[in-house]
Amino acid sequence: MFEYFTDPVLRAPTWGCMLMCLAASLMGVLSFLNKRSLLGEGISHAAYPGVVAGMAVCAIDAADEGSLFFALVGALLFSIIGLWVIDRLEKKGKVHSDAALCFMLASFFGIGTLGASFLQGARPLMAQRVQIYLYGQAATMTDIHIVIYAALSALIVMFLVISYRPMQALCFDRVYAQSLMIVPRYLTIATFVLMLLSIVIGIRSVGVVLMSGMFVAPAVAARQWTDRLSTLLWIAAIIGVASGLLGNILSVEASQKLRIYFPHERLSLPTGPMIVLTGSAIAFLSLLFAPRRGAIPRLVRILSFRVRTVEENILKSVWKSKEISLKDCRACNHLWPPSLIFLLWRMQRQGWMTQAYRRYALTPDGDRKAARIVRLHRLWEVYLADLGWPEESVHRTAEEMEHILTPELEERLAGQLHDPKLDPHAQPIPEHDVVC
Amino acid sequence: MLFAKTALSPYWDLHFFEIFAQIGQRLLLLFQGGGILAADEIQILVLGCISISCGVLGPVLVLKKMTMLANSLAHTILLGLAISFLISRSMFSSTGFDMPHLLFGALIAALLTVFSTYVLTRLFRLQEDASIGLVFTALFALGIVVVTLFTRDVHLSVEVVMGNADALRFEDLVVAADLALMNGLFVLLFFWPLQMSSFDSGQSMMMGNRLNLLQPLLLFLTAASCIGAFRAVGVLLVLSFLVGPFLIARLFFHRLWHLLIVTPAIGIFASLIGVALARHLLSVYGLALSTGGIVSTLIALLYPAARIVSKFSRLKELKSN
Amino acid sequence: MNAIEIEGLTINYDQTSVLWDLSFSLPHGIICGIAGPNGAGKSTLLKAAVGLVKPQSGRIALLGQPLRKMRQRIAYIPQRESIDWDFPITASDVVLMGRYHQFGFWGRPRPADRAAAACALEQLGMSAFADRQISQLSGGQQQRLFIARALVQEPDLFLMDEPFRGVDLATEKSIIELLRRLKNEGKTILIVFHDLHMAQSYFDYLLLLNRRLIACGPIEATLNSQNISRAFGKSQSLFEEATALSAKTRLGMK
Repeated sequence: MFEYFTDPVLRAPTWGCMLMCLAASLMGVLSFLNKRSLLGEGISHAAYPGVVAGMAVCAIDAADEGSLFFALVGALLFSIIGLWVIDRLEKKGKVHSDAALCFMLASFFGIGTLGASFLQGARPLMAQRVQIYLYGQAATMTDIHIVIYAALSALIVMFLVISYRPMQALCFDRVYAQSLMIVPRYLTIATFVLMLLSIVIGIRSVGVVLMSGMFVAPAVAARQWTDRLSTLLWIAAIIGVASGLLGNILSVEASQKLRIYFPHERLSLPTGPMIVLTGSAIAFLSLLFAPRRGAIPRLVRILSFRVRTVEENILKSVWKSKEISLKDCRACNHLWPPSLIFLLWRMQRQGWMTQAYRRYALTPDGDRKAARIVRLHRLWEVYLADLGWPEESVHRTAEEMEHILTPELEERLAGQLHDPKLDPHAQPIPEHDVVC
Repeated sequence: MLFAKTALSPYWDLHFFEIFAQIGQRLLLLFQGGGILAADEIQILVLGCISISCGVLGPVLVLKKMTMLANSLAHTILLGLAISFLISRSMFSSTGFDMPHLLFGALIAALLTVFSTYVLTRLFRLQEDASIGLVFTALFALGIVVVTLFTRDVHLSVEVVMGNADALRFEDLVVAADLALMNGLFVLLFFWPLQMSSFDSGQSMMMGNRLNLLQPLLLFLTAASCIGAFRAVGVLLVLSFLVGPFLIARLFFHRLWHLLIVTPAIGIFASLIGVALARHLLSVYGLALSTGGIVSTLIALLYPAARIVSKFSRLKELKSN
Repeated sequence: MNAIEIEGLTINYDQTSVLWDLSFSLPHGIICGIAGPNGAGKSTLLKAAVGLVKPQSGRIALLGQPLRKMRQRIAYIPQRESIDWDFPITASDVVLMGRYHQFGFWGRPRPADRAAAACALEQLGMSAFADRQISQLSGGQQQRLFIARALVQEPDLFLMDEPFRGVDLATEKSIIELLRRLKNEGKTILIVFHDLHMAQSYFDYLLLLNRRLIACGPIEATLNSQNISRAFGKSQSLFEEATALSAKTRLGMK
């Protein structure tokens, strides 16, 4: 495993991929928060003719070294033009942003395709180099690449660190921030430039076609784990780097296996798809399993809330009649009998209820718990009545709210209503100290 | 790539305007029942059919603000096709690229895209732009991997995005023509429902049950058109045909059914000039360029040109008033 | 049978509650204004009534039946901002759309539909603009166009979302006159509006909302300073917090 980092042949691709994906994931977070994730798709496709043009310029010199430099400069230039085109289409052409992005993307890629075919005839070797920018190819990277990408990524990280506060304001309320002059104009432009830069850096490893995947996936994944911008950036960076690393490793290993099984066909898996697949997999797993926002934990929470609601309703019905037989309980609660029996058993185990001679009663703890629910119910009814709710409908929503109100809300309710003793139906409200 | 443009072609070594003269002559010949289609003619016809099938769907997609979704579909079709071929290979052991495969692949692609995007936006509560972006890159990457592993053809992944107009055969023309017919009929039959759901989706939701079937059908046909076109111009340049001609036509025409006629016409015009230009450059300068790239660039250049023309004509109108 | 009956309507959006346990009913043949502060859920209420927004819970009955049976008798006029006015379509074609459910099998307009559209345009004084592109219409003309589209449907219930916003006074007056005529024919009209000054003179009934029902009834009874301060005041932060908590719990976020 470690040879990926140290071996002279393997280390450049490994470090290169990691650094490239770092930059892209960081800027991807910003565009994700601005709800313009698809901009990365447009920029990367706009960069393609730039790569072609850069390589063509390099070919004129008949120089081999420095082709990376020309490609990157060309990519940057054309991406800027691409953004300008989108802006003009939207503002002057009154074209919807959706169609503007799509048209620009397709047109620039077409121009790039044209250029690449021209290069194919004129300088086939250069055309081969251009082709690797389609899906990325880390294998031919050298140590110089590491240095360049490290420097560019450091630039991006430094910028984010320096302008963190205004960036935060810009992300979460652009209009407000600009109106208060918290955010200098140059910051918006600088953000765009760095976005371009991060994509331009990345296309060597991920490729033009799939670059937007690394723009979007780490941001999506990171968002599921946190709400704070600084943590978001950290997590997205880590996920981006991990995807770059794993994707590169997978691509190398898979290509080796392919060479073993199909020795005559000279197959290889380009790095781009593997990196994107890794990043997307991490994103999907985060969407499913992240503790607060993940779908599965949410489902679990919803189900356990439902169970808790049912249990609390059972407790309430027992509280009202001091003790209850199974039949009466069933009548009150409209549950499937086996589940009712199970829940009753569970509540006995948890110490809220006792059972004697087929009749269920509450333990002192259970009594307090039930009283608390009733207190919340009746407090809420008083509150609604106070707001002007008609009497007939306060009961229904209180049935729901009694399971939701927190102790803090209860305290504020009691305070605002001046600790009422009776609910709108003239029933007594259990006292706070009785309940606790 | 050069085999289709050899000296056997009747268009060999012709200059730009001579090409059109030759086209005229060949048309007469073909009407009289003689001769087979040359490679250039197949290209013109296929690109023309693509212009029609994309040109009638394009306006609807742009007006419904579904172009990035179409972009997503254009990428997902790779996976759809790969799955379609895998299944057919194991079930029917056929290797052809024909309508049933295409339609099945399109169906899979459309289903996958729509289903995943729906799951992401509704169940996972992810914002729409990120859902689209995540779905298509992941599925396209998967498609590349599957295709590379199972076809073991390294160049396929490049051809998929760039197309190879010179490798078109008569069977491809049949497919393209079928698609053009299908899409044309679709838009003709469902003109009013499409117009309504594009203009005011809220009201159309309120009003129609029939309208609910249109959206999936539209997506399916878009996917099919993308597949039908990708051999000629590649997955990404299909988007040029979908969006570009409509934006150009909109500068001059203001009723939807006019636009549905003019948009394909602009596409056909660009295809004609594009193929002729490609042949001209090959004959005169010996440059073998990608036809898809030429046509796409032409459409891209036509837009600013059209903007300038429309501005002039508006200035003239104002002056004369 | 009431024109509208809403019971226990709760609509959440993202992690907040937009409408909570809304219950009210309105009789036939009235013009009812819906008012409330920003974010009070007025547009959402109309959208839920026509099925554009799905509520978390609650029952909506229009003209005594659920929406799906009543679609053809209800006209919804959305906010002008939500429409794409650059769409390549003429005014008369927009109005024609109101007759969609009466089109032939292939979904094409018949001559009778076109005649009805022309008639509606005339009623709104828009005949001159029949073949005009909608991008060339002014704010007031756009609003009248949408009312013409609603008229052509021949509905019994009109739901209008902020029709008076950005419209000149003359248009406003002509719209209200038309609505009064419709009311006299027994139609019911619900209008979301902003400017409380117009309430007294334009509406028979008033519905005040602030994410919950503040008041609903004849205007003499409901338009008073107590209700207005309840609607537009800031004294329900506890309510909003508690209902937001409920919305979050339903999503599994808490």
